[in-house]
Amino acid sequence: MNKLIDIASRAIADYGFRQAVLYGASDIARKWELSEEEAALLSGPVLAELSALPIPVQPPDIPAEQARVADVIRGLIRF
Amino acid sequence: MTGRLEDKVAIVTGGASGIGRAICQRFGQEGAKVVVADRNIAGAEETLTLMGATPENAAMVDVNISDSFQVERMVDAAVTQFGRLDILINGAAILIRTPPLVEVDEVLWDLTMETNVKGVFLCCKHAIPAMTVNGGGSIVNISSMSGVRGVGYSVPYAVSKAGVIHLTTVAASQYTSQGVRINCIAPGGVDTPQMRGSTASAEAFAGRNEGHPMGRVGTADEIANLVLWLASDEASYVSGSTYIIDGGAWAGAQ
Repeated sequence: MNKLIDIASRAIADYGFRQAVLYGASDIARKWELSEEEAALLSGPVLAELSALPIPVQPPDIPAEQARVADVIRGLIRF
Repeated sequence: MTGRLEDKVAIVTGGASGIGRAICQRFGQEGAKVVVADRNIAGAEETLTLMGATPENAAMVDVNISDSFQVERMVDAAVTQFGRLDILINGAAILIRTPPLVEVDEVLWDLTMETNVKGVFLCCKHAIPAMTVNGGGSIVNISSMSGVRGVGYSVPYAVSKAGVIHLTTVAASQYTSQGVRINCIAPGGVDTPQMRGSTASAEAFAGRNEGHPMGRVGTADEIANLVLWLASDEASYVSGSTYIIDGGAWAGAQ
């Protein structure tokens, strides 16, 4: 879960990284050694969240967006 | 002037947005048959729409340029659909902002190098044989001023773009004699989604115009015009060169 939150947080803070995730989620999942479940979440609901963000997220808005998406991810992960 | 690329077949990687999209549109206006290559399918489709494309003059390929098999398939698709390959524009790249070198994650370094350097290498590797079989062609690699002067906001990006310049020189030294002209351009700031996105804030982006000799960053269309010339037969004696296109910004900073 922490890796997934790390990826999403980076993608919120940096548009270039966000593009790498949006158009190469499988590569990112492989490089970050995500589990199957995490990889599926990344290419599904997490990607949908990232797609909806403005370009770029303005610096003052980054912490709140990161916290919001992290909460979404925590809600998606099954324990 | 129109028809400067009449009967030419071109692949443009990174054709889904920004400079790549502008190149696709410009090439289409000049009579080229264009293969829009990108991983951003929705963006590539939008480019085709903006070009007013038909199956007779344009196509789209979903390609990860760091994957040799996919690149080979991209070149095959161009040749199969349009009968030949004359022009390759290596425009696909990623720009990830990084902290100073010591703090750069290895994974971001690898990610950038795989797309920006290995991707250009693979596209050249598979396109050059498809060009030489018909007597040659033209390749234009898109580097960056970051690769010329090494700016610090992204360590891997700057190094990767320097690599593209050297790849151009090496490849030109080996394939110009076989009819393939290989050149490079190094744009400064250009108003593209990538640049707007990679600039920390809207204020910071607006600030890039201040102090510029022309009072503004460049447009994607202005970059496309240089690429058009290099790709066309008008640049028949040009190979192995890197052209800075930054509106005089670097000269002004000297």
